[in-house]
Amino acid sequence: MKKNSNIIELENIETIYEGEKSPVIYDINFKVKPGEFISVIGPNGAGKTTFLETINGLLSYSKGKCFVFGKEIKKHKSEIRKEIGYVIQNFEMDPLAPFLCKDIVMSGRTGKIGTFRFARKNDWDKVWYSMGLVGMIDFANRPIGKLSGGEFQKILLSRALAQNPKILLLDEPFSNLDYASRKQVETLLNRIHEKNNITILIVSHDLSFVPSRCKRIIVIDHGKIIMDGSREKILKSDIINSIFNGNGGKK
Amino acid sequence: MIDFPSALLITSILGAILAGFACSTTGAFVVRMNLSSIGYLMSHAAFAGAAFGLMISIDPIIGAIIFSFGISLILGPLAEKARLESNIVIGFLFSFMIALAFIFLNFIPGTAASARALRILWGSIFSVSTSDLLLLSIFSFILIVFVIIFYKELIAIMFNRKLAESSGINTRLYYFAVLFLTGIAVSFSIRIVGGLLVFALIINPTSTAYQFFFDFKKIFIFSPIIGIVSCLVGFWLSLISDFPIGASIVLISAIFFTIAIIFSPKRKKGKSKIQQSVS
Repeated sequence: MKKNSNIIELENIETIYEGEKSPVIYDINFKVKPGEFISVIGPNGAGKTTFLETINGLLSYSKGKCFVFGKEIKKHKSEIRKEIGYVIQNFEMDPLAPFLCKDIVMSGRTGKIGTFRFARKNDWDKVWYSMGLVGMIDFANRPIGKLSGGEFQKILLSRALAQNPKILLLDEPFSNLDYASRKQVETLLNRIHEKNNITILIVSHDLSFVPSRCKRIIVIDHGKIIMDGSREKILKSDIINSIFNGNGGKK
Repeated sequence: MIDFPSALLITSILGAILAGFACSTTGAFVVRMNLSSIGYLMSHAAFAGAAFGLMISIDPIIGAIIFSFGISLILGPLAEKARLESNIVIGFLFSFMIALAFIFLNFIPGTAASARALRILWGSIFSVSTSDLLLLSIFSFILIVFVIIFYKELIAIMFNRKLAESSGINTRLYYFAVLFLTGIAVSFSIRIVGGLLVFALIINPTSTAYQFFFDFKKIFIFSPIIGIVSCLVGFWLSLISDFPIGASIVLISAIFFTIAIIFSPKRKKGKSKIQQSVS
């Protein structure tokens, strides 16, 4: 147990995939204070998803130490994950998949409810609340496979929020969303952050969608954090222009 | 129609119902996890086990159960270790079991013994003993308790294993448990209904239920119901037509599946409200 004020702390982290020789991310030193809203940006293949999945322990690191809530993730995986909401990068869903939206949102609370326990009224209240928050309450009894990309993304966000997390990790939450939906999700994230003071890390390869409450940006390129600073400083930086060609694509 | 002693008929019907329940309940997992070939694997593991039992002069049933248990225990960890889809590992183990069976049979003198081992593969519903019924009843009870207690975990894993893991669920444990229970369901049922029928009872009722429902809970409820009804109607068909029982049950479940595909509400398009309002 590490006693300091950081909610997330990564020390010299290096993550290598099985069968690979070179690490996807390396020399990662990163500290997050509770309530911070951080954008993690970088071109495709820079290691952003690996970075997020190292924090919640879905990928185990080969070097260094990763502490979340002062506990090392390798030793306290299940316990820590119950407090981290994760929105995965959009994946393909079978249109005939036999799952209703409300059950998917409830599945976010599974770890929190605990083994050998059943969902209670309080858990369902959290489900309805988080579905209402993303404007998807009318979709509760709809099959998950019948949703559009944007609606599906909102259900995944609602699933993470139903967990009542202390940390929210969002992997490309704006992908598959049209402009109006992006604005909606952005407003929503700002509101959640303002209201609940949740620590949010949002991964994106698009510079044009950094939520207004996000005050800190880190830039990852070729597996390394190359910049970490205030929103204003990073967005005005020349290095950003050398990595992105202005529209989020890789040069 | 052949006259059977009523006690034999009742035990046979009970055997079919229990096998129908166990196989079609685990079928809900199998269909979702794309593990359809697990039926082949377990039937041939039982066959290899029976051949092994005959080779070392023990009851072939004991050999069959030991091999089936062993295979259902190693299937999950092996797939995980090899970083391959479970279906690929099933294919590997299936061919390995056939090879072992042939090697063991090679050491058994006489064709009568080989025929005993082959009976494991085909099964016989009229050879159901009270201990078979008891084993399947206990297993069915365990299966119901497992699904009820771990329903929320199972739903999360069936939807997306990575997301389930990220919520704090030990997905590996449940995944292995599902594979193990499926293996056990098959190995307990195989001697009663045979390899062909086990395969049909795992796949057909769940695939039929899939045509009607978007709610996994309903699939869990209706899959065993369809399985049991298929068994009973198939049994009745066999009695009135003198068709083999296994084939009759497969036939009925295939008819149910075909009807489900034709009338599936999942594929029906609703009437356009825009057109109606225009006209």
